[in-house]
Amino acid sequence: MLRTPLTVLLQRLLAGIPILVLLSLVVFVVLRALPSDPLGMMLPPSATRAEAQALSAALGLDKPLYVQFYIWLEKALGGDLGHSFLYQQSVVLLIAKALPVTLELVLVALCIALVISFPLALFAYSLYGKRWGVVPDTIVVVMQSIPAFLWGLLFIALFGVFFPVLPFSGQIGPDYHLPTITGFMLLDTLLLHNGPAFRDALAHMVLPACALALGFCPLVVRVLRSCLIEASREPYVMVARLRGVPARRILLRYIQKNALLPTITMIGVQFGFLFGSALLIEIIFSFPGIGSLMVSAVKSNDLPLIQGVTIVFGVLMVLINAVVDTLYVVLNPLLRDH
Amino acid sequence: MEQGVAGPQGLPRKNAVLRALQSLSPKAWVGLCLVLFAVFVACAAPWLAPHKPDAQDLLNMLLPPMWSANGNLDFPLGTDGLGQCILSRAIYGTRVAIVVAVSAATGAMLLGVVMAMLAGYFGGWVDRIIGYVVDLWMSFPPVVLSLVLMVGLGTGVVNVILAIVLVDWTRFCRVVRSDVIVVRRRQYVAAARLLGFGHWKTMWREILPAVGPLIITLFTLEMGVAVIVEAILSFVGLSVSAGTVAWGVMIADSRDYLHEAPWGMLTPVFCIFLLVLGCNALGDGLRESLDPALREREKEQG
Amino acid sequence: MIRFEHVSLSARRASGQVDLLRDISFTVPQGRILGLVGESGAGKSMVGRLIAGLLPEGFRITQGHIFLGDTELTGMPPAQRAALLGRKLVFIPQEPLTALNPLMTIGESFAEQLEIIGMARPRRHAEMLRRLEEMELPQPAEILQRYPHQLSGGQCQRVLIAMAFAAEPALIVADEPTTALDVVTQANVMRILARRQKANGTSIILITHDLVMASHVCDEMVVLYAGEVVESGDARTILAQPLHPYTQSLSGSTPKLAGEAKRLPTLEGFMPGLGDLAVIAGCRFQERCGIGDARCGQRRIELQQMDGGRAVRCLKVGVPLGDAAGSVAADTQGHGEQRAGQADDSPLLRVRNLSLTYRSSGGLFSWGSRANKALDDVSFEVYRGECVGIVGESGSGKSSIARSIVGMHGECEGAIDVDGISVIGARGEALEQLRRTVQIIFQDPHSALNPRRSVFRLLTQGFEALPPRARHEMAAQLEGKVAELMGDIRLPPSMLGRYPSEMSGGQKQRVNIGRGVFLAPKLLVADEIVSGLDMSVQAQILNLLKELAARYGIAVVLISHDLAVVRYLCQRVVVMYEGRAVEQGPVDEVFLRPRHEYTRRLLAAVPSGDPGKPWPVAV
Repeated sequence: MLRTPLTVLLQRLLAGIPILVLLSLVVFVVLRALPSDPLGMMLPPSATRAEAQALSAALGLDKPLYVQFYIWLEKALGGDLGHSFLYQQSVVLLIAKALPVTLELVLVALCIALVISFPLALFAYSLYGKRWGVVPDTIVVVMQSIPAFLWGLLFIALFGVFFPVLPFSGQIGPDYHLPTITGFMLLDTLLLHNGPAFRDALAHMVLPACALALGFCPLVVRVLRSCLIEASREPYVMVARLRGVPARRILLRYIQKNALLPTITMIGVQFGFLFGSALLIEIIFSFPGIGSLMVSAVKSNDLPLIQGVTIVFGVLMVLINAVVDTLYVVLNPLLRDH
Repeated sequence: MEQGVAGPQGLPRKNAVLRALQSLSPKAWVGLCLVLFAVFVACAAPWLAPHKPDAQDLLNMLLPPMWSANGNLDFPLGTDGLGQCILSRAIYGTRVAIVVAVSAATGAMLLGVVMAMLAGYFGGWVDRIIGYVVDLWMSFPPVVLSLVLMVGLGTGVVNVILAIVLVDWTRFCRVVRSDVIVVRRRQYVAAARLLGFGHWKTMWREILPAVGPLIITLFTLEMGVAVIVEAILSFVGLSVSAGTVAWGVMIADSRDYLHEAPWGMLTPVFCIFLLVLGCNALGDGLRESLDPALREREKEQG
Repeated sequence: MIRFEHVSLSARRASGQVDLLRDISFTVPQGRILGLVGESGAGKSMVGRLIAGLLPEGFRITQGHIFLGDTELTGMPPAQRAALLGRKLVFIPQEPLTALNPLMTIGESFAEQLEIIGMARPRRHAEMLRRLEEMELPQPAEILQRYPHQLSGGQCQRVLIAMAFAAEPALIVADEPTTALDVVTQANVMRILARRQKANGTSIILITHDLVMASHVCDEMVVLYAGEVVESGDARTILAQPLHPYTQSLSGSTPKLAGEAKRLPTLEGFMPGLGDLAVIAGCRFQERCGIGDARCGQRRIELQQMDGGRAVRCLKVGVPLGDAAGSVAADTQGHGEQRAGQADDSPLLRVRNLSLTYRSSGGLFSWGSRANKALDDVSFEVYRGECVGIVGESGSGKSSIARSIVGMHGECEGAIDVDGISVIGARGEALEQLRRTVQIIFQDPHSALNPRRSVFRLLTQGFEALPPRARHEMAAQLEGKVAELMGDIRLPPSMLGRYPSEMSGGQKQRVNIGRGVFLAPKLLVADEIVSGLDMSVQAQILNLLKELAARYGIAVVLISHDLAVVRYLCQRVVVMYEGRAVEQGPVDEVFLRPRHEYTRRLLAAVPSGDPGKPWPVAV
């Protein structure tokens, strides 16, 4: 079978379906292993046993596990992920409101991270093996020891308390009440031609996005740097020098370009990590994304919501992995069969 | 000039441990010191801390560190919203951090290495299945997985350790597995099998020593990860029980008083940073002293 | 065209400055090919880097001059020097498949090269096609579209040669251009290279370890040893009548396809490394030389000019080496002797209709998998005490045979019997018995010896695997056995505690052999055990194997791509081609009167050392 980008994409997506089903099953079982009582939240303290049983039957909690799962799966495929105990709303609706917030945050943070990491990695590479090589090295190790959520806390302390220049709570100031169009705050403000709102949203985005980016940066820098070093050690680089290829061209076409490929795959693998860090950042900066949603759900044992959010994460990961794998085949001729 | 470098007339090999220690980079030494310091603090907490961590002094709430204007020598780093000594809480918090770091890393290492050996050595469908599971697991945000597991397992430090082990064994597995596969292909493994070594003997005597250094490096790095995950979970309130002190709990508590008493948050942040830095520096340093040594040797033969 | 005048290159070491290269002088006239011959560590690659001007840190020229035409290279500013690369000075690398950017097509790399030499864009495509056609590459337009990993080693090398000649350089430096290629491919590539050289009149420096090949292809030859030129002159004459003791030993230790079959004199010891050079005042070869005396070691010896354009760096020119050339132990079994134990005529190893198919699966979702027949109906026999060689190129299946014999390919079809026991499907008792009867020695000593085991633990590895009862029996005599074994493999007892990283290639290979012999097997399978070793070391190992086999009555199956080695060691040979045994029989028969077309091709592809037989010819 030909290995074109399209077939790879389809392959990955199709393979993702059983993965998602398996994942939901595992989560389903794990959540139900809890000896806690999900009903406790929803009933008044004076509820009688009969009322509890009635509610239990209404929610389908009295049926055997596999039946419950089957019911859930059926509904999920139809687009209904159940009803949140905590918020008393459809899970799908809650997620639909929260997901764009997280996506926006992650995208902005990713861009910032890439913009910072590439020059830093090139800088670290240029000093590799030399006397001052210790400097970028130390910077990276130190940065690596500060996870995103610590950066977030530090930023709040620094720019919120000591030098209050930037806001650190919420997506946008309390004075702005905007209708949601896409759900992406920055995009929406632009679409509404609301300049001040855009600036305000941007200001609110700076700290959390930077915290997230700085947490992700060292990962990218390390990977890129080691890929650059590996590439520079390849025999064809030495041969290129002997062939008279100018040094700048070697750096660009022989080293950087060749280092980019393994870097992309390695970064792709780390996307889960990025989303996980976003979760914490949302809590710290009070962003109403699916991270915050997840944590509230977990703290109140809101099983349908937990299940729903987990599946959404799963879908995201499958999509991202599929795209990264496809990208890799597109960029790497060695993987294509002819 | 291959012979000149390694020298067949070279000295016989010294004790392997001594040699390893000698080749440690300064980075590794720094890391080692930090980690050992943390272990020391954790063990000696009752003697180092000026107060008990949960001793509330409601007359002295939100005191600044002793070097500030209203500081009190009794409370070197000030107090929190309930009048508890921040320094003491930070010291006692080290215990949770160290315990979680070491046990979770050990658990993840054991589970991950065993799976990696099985997958890498036997290959075939064993490898396919394990590889599949690992890829699945790893592509998922670890934090989310931990949260879900905590819901299923319940709160508490032991469950935190369990959750970390169940999530992070995949990291060990993936990295060690690729190394096992590389070593497995080497001719000396085939030679051992052909001399009559059984599977387990081969794995134990030929493959494990070869991947040993890598495992040690991963262990130290995993300790750092465990500290962070525990901090996150106790920040969210899912880790230690109400009475115990952990750095994440200190951070959560201090959020409300951020404007009046920022040091309440900065202290645990700094502690987390230092310990994780120690683990990372140690792990990195170990990785460096192993890798170039190997590469140099390979260059010499080539 | 290029001239080296008393060039010395030194490196900074802990002990001070050491002369890596000392007093290198030679000239490559316009339009001629010079062979730079030497073993690994002699410094020949360093000479190449000197010409390129790409020296590692801490290396500098302390003496002498290098001239390219009339321009002096030494002392030239680096920018100017770098501008010569790829234009007037071109290099052909050793490993063709990794020499080009894997993300660029051949066309893109070639076009880049043409851009460097300043060719206008419109002319490039036609030029590339022309050059590739000159290399006898079929469908050059298609090749330009491909990526390097889609070509074979030989094709890639031809592309690199084409790129080299496209620049119409003053000098081409070819650094072991055919070492990584198969025998037949090697012959073709060298033929094309030589033809192009004649047509263009380019000067070439051919760096190689293969003395015989150099004598055929090159006009002149320079022999390097430990960083010095020990002999130079006309290539053919040097091979026919070597003057320097080292050249004589080198030529002597190279097994040949033609000529008398005599025992290879071994050159014990090894070339001094950087660390040792510092303390050697006089002749660097003296330690291994059989005829050196006190005068040789006193001070530096100058290169003496002799008649006929030859030069030798030796005080003892004319003194016959005779039997003093290296230590030659009492000879036991020469080549071609009858096999021992003829009374018992049942074969020790019997291979019948052996077939092996590799099924490569395409992954989780591919339908159908590719079947690759590695072995196809192979049959042959090996009797006790004899040595049978299996020759062929890479991909011919010879390694697969070796592995099947020891049971590494359980999925093969057919029958393999060792001493009556079937290898295929052997289990339990039978498997244990097999382990003690047949052992394999792998090619790469670096990979075949666990770097964490000392020599003692390596040799006794077989002991570790024995069942407890047998182990108990042997435990008492273990030390004695090991001591005896060390004597057999000619290693001093002091090496028992050493680790592989502290040993040379030859020493490691001895330990490798020792380990194989430890359990006193009746059959040894030696898989390419001397490829990758220097010629002098190769001779040592071959003689060692011969000795051990004779002393203990071990039958040997020798896998090799080197026909001369097989001729030296074996009585019978099996020729493999694409998984099939195309011809087999006594070595002399097959090599002198080959019947199969492939065998003829194979034999024609090997440089024989006989000036009467021209090489390379089209194969």
